[in-house]
Amino acid sequence: MVSKTEETQLNRLENQVDNGGGGAWEYLCLVRKLKVRRSEKVLKYGLSILNDLKKRSSLGTEEWTLYEQVAIAAMDCQSLNVAKDCVRLLRKAFPESKRVGRLEAMLLEAKGSWAEAEKAYSSFLEENPLDQVIHKRRVAMAKAQGDTSGAIEWLNKYLEIFMADHDAWRELAEIYVSLQMYKQAAFCYEELILSQPTVPLHHLAYADVLYTLGGLENLQTAKKYYASVIDLTGGKNTRALFGINLCTSAIGQLAKGRNKEDKESLELQSLAATALEKDYKQRAPDKLSLLTTALKSLKVSS
Amino acid sequence: MAMSLGFVVGILGVVILSHAAYSTVQYRGLLKIMEEEFSGPPLTVVAELLLGLVFCMWAALTVPGTFLSIHPYSEENRIVSLPDNLDFMIFNHRARVFPVELDLKFKH
Repeated sequence: MVSKTEETQLNRLENQVDNGGGGAWEYLCLVRKLKVRRSEKVLKYGLSILNDLKKRSSLGTEEWTLYEQVAIAAMDCQSLNVAKDCVRLLRKAFPESKRVGRLEAMLLEAKGSWAEAEKAYSSFLEENPLDQVIHKRRVAMAKAQGDTSGAIEWLNKYLEIFMADHDAWRELAEIYVSLQMYKQAAFCYEELILSQPTVPLHHLAYADVLYTLGGLENLQTAKKYYASVIDLTGGKNTRALFGINLCTSAIGQLAKGRNKEDKESLELQSLAATALEKDYKQRAPDKLSLLTTALKSLKVSS
Repeated sequence: MAMSLGFVVGILGVVILSHAAYSTVQYRGLLKIMEEEFSGPPLTVVAELLLGLVFCMWAALTVPGTFLSIHPYSEENRIVSLPDNLDFMIFNHRARVFPVELDLKFKH
């Protein structure tokens, strides 16, 4: 989870490091802690620390963590020579380690030798059939080869054993959304909301999926979830505010025949619209006219 | 600085409280000598107790640190993005076609 303060801290550190202001190690630590994917920068700054003998030795045992981080970043950037060197050094330091073995298999993946990587992973699983990370790597490998249905199958099998793994649920939801299987994706987001009810982004994604599914009932539920996002973020989520407007106008269109005037929902819409206008006025005054025309078109159709 | 101030105030509060206890004991001893019934502590002791309570409470609230927000929408708690799912990271993406234009190498 990346909170607002952590995000600002990360951006500030990134800016500082980019402009040569130092603090590269703190930046790398924060990237690791927040689990964000900044492979190019991690590779650049991590390598500069590793090549500097003085800086590297001052890290102590943290040095090996950095080697691992840089190795993965290098694989992500396809700098396979660097990745290979990192893994080789790690192997020298920890000859028996399974964690390094995993890195070696990932290196095979990055090279594109799928069969060999698969072989390595299955041998790991034979030793320890409950290794979550290896299971996840297999899913990722199926996805990387374009075998999305295979990835779904693996993930479902994995989730049968590790039901509490919300990262896996999210991954499954995202795969389903990418395949436009919204009903299944909605189910995954329901699981996510159950396991982490205070994360507004799950509510938001669920509402998005329901809105996309359409239909009066789904739209009404979507509106409720957009409202809960507003509740959880204090109205600072622009997407949820737009969502309320879109849902209200879509519901208005569908329920036109019944003509059931729902005063409360109209009030909600106008409140969301005012909040949006205020936000735009503050942060992007030149785009305000675009917003007002968009909102007007929504109101006309409702 | 604020920390040490709070600490000093806390110690002062504890000292005042123990002094109040001591005075009460003394007072009861005095009453025994004068052979009177104990009906309640003297007014000064009550005032001391209240002062000590206030001091100790203030110190207990300030010394351990500042309060953290429990509102879900405060800056510290508001989640703006989820971590990238690094366990499911795949390497078969555009970096393969557009490798990083950095001449990076290990020097050792």
